[in-house]
Amino acid sequence: MEAINLTAQSRELTGKKVAQLRRQGQVPAILYGHKTQPLSLQIEARALQQVLREAGTNRLITLSVDGVSDPRMVLVRDLQRDTISHALQHVDLYEVIMTERITAEVPIELQGESSLVKRGEALLFQGLDTIEIECLPGDLPPQIDVDLSSLQQIDATILVKDLKAQLSDAVEILTDLDEIVVKLLLPEEEEVEEAAAEAGVPEVEIIGREKKEEEGEAETEKGKADKSK
Amino acid sequence: MLFPKRMKYRKAHRGRMKGRATRGNKVSFGEYGLQALEPFWLTSRQIEAARRAVVHFVQRGGKLWIRIFPDKPVTAKAAETRMGGGKGAVSHWVAVVKPGHVLIEIGGVTETAAREALRLAGNKLPIRTQFVSRADFGTGGEGE
Repeated sequence: MEAINLTAQSRELTGKKVAQLRRQGQVPAILYGHKTQPLSLQIEARALQQVLREAGTNRLITLSVDGVSDPRMVLVRDLQRDTISHALQHVDLYEVIMTERITAEVPIELQGESSLVKRGEALLFQGLDTIEIECLPGDLPPQIDVDLSSLQQIDATILVKDLKAQLSDAVEILTDLDEIVVKLLLPEEEEVEEAAAEAGVPEVEIIGREKKEEEGEAETEKGKADKSK
Repeated sequence: MLFPKRMKYRKAHRGRMKGRATRGNKVSFGEYGLQALEPFWLTSRQIEAARRAVVHFVQRGGKLWIRIFPDKPVTAKAAETRMGGGKGAVSHWVAVVKPGHVLIEIGGVTETAAREALRLAGNKLPIRTQFVSRADFGTGGEGE
């Protein structure tokens, strides 16, 4: 596997001032780890984007800070994006110790196609995108392949425990083993249009205090009416 | 049409729609979604119209998730009524939508079909919307 390199500069601007950096095409980042002092960084957005696409959250990145010759091995731990423009806002980098076990999310890659899905007789439901594993940084698998051609009937499922075989013994799965990775479902039919559109506002049951108050009011009114007689 | 089965109080205050959606702002169930770009009260009729547009286009296959629910009652006074006499009767139900909220999600269809289905659904809504995919929020996202 090719090494992925990334260059970063140390950052002095913090708080709301990092907005200036984003306008200049830099992404604020932080580097931390088990035995690492947290270090504020800034990374060129375009380069970071390329590295992220290649490395995801489960491939080691060789990070050099301010051109110092001693590079650090890091993983992308967290990513913040703008909810509307999806522009990168901030990145968390986690420095790994090659002899210390870490947890990471490994993406699931779907391979092949079920014949039922191909004919449009079934719908593929994907329950999980990633699986959480624990292992040494050097043992991190780049992806976990799921073969869909084995799914030949409706309700056929592949569970997390079915993927255990393709992982080495050094890798421990932390995700619940009985969780569904993929499942074949019956395609949904278009619902028959309701003949008459519901007119007016439907009645909604009221629970709690307001209902009691209403009942109370009704009783007092009744009492008044009785007195006036 | 969507509306709550039961609720604690019959009428609600209007509230405000400041800022962006901080929850429900990612594609969580399907592969593609329709994201709101403006704040608005979407009525249950509008949500139903959008849902029908998607279901009608996709026909068989695909799975749909409606990520918003109209749980806010809106009241109105009857026509030609004098002011006063308290708050009006419940007229309809709305979902409070802030920019960034993912309104509808779809899975099990190709990207082209999802784009077209969600375009049709977006046309049924009185707000600007954008097509988003699950990848936009992860490491593979493009961003501007």
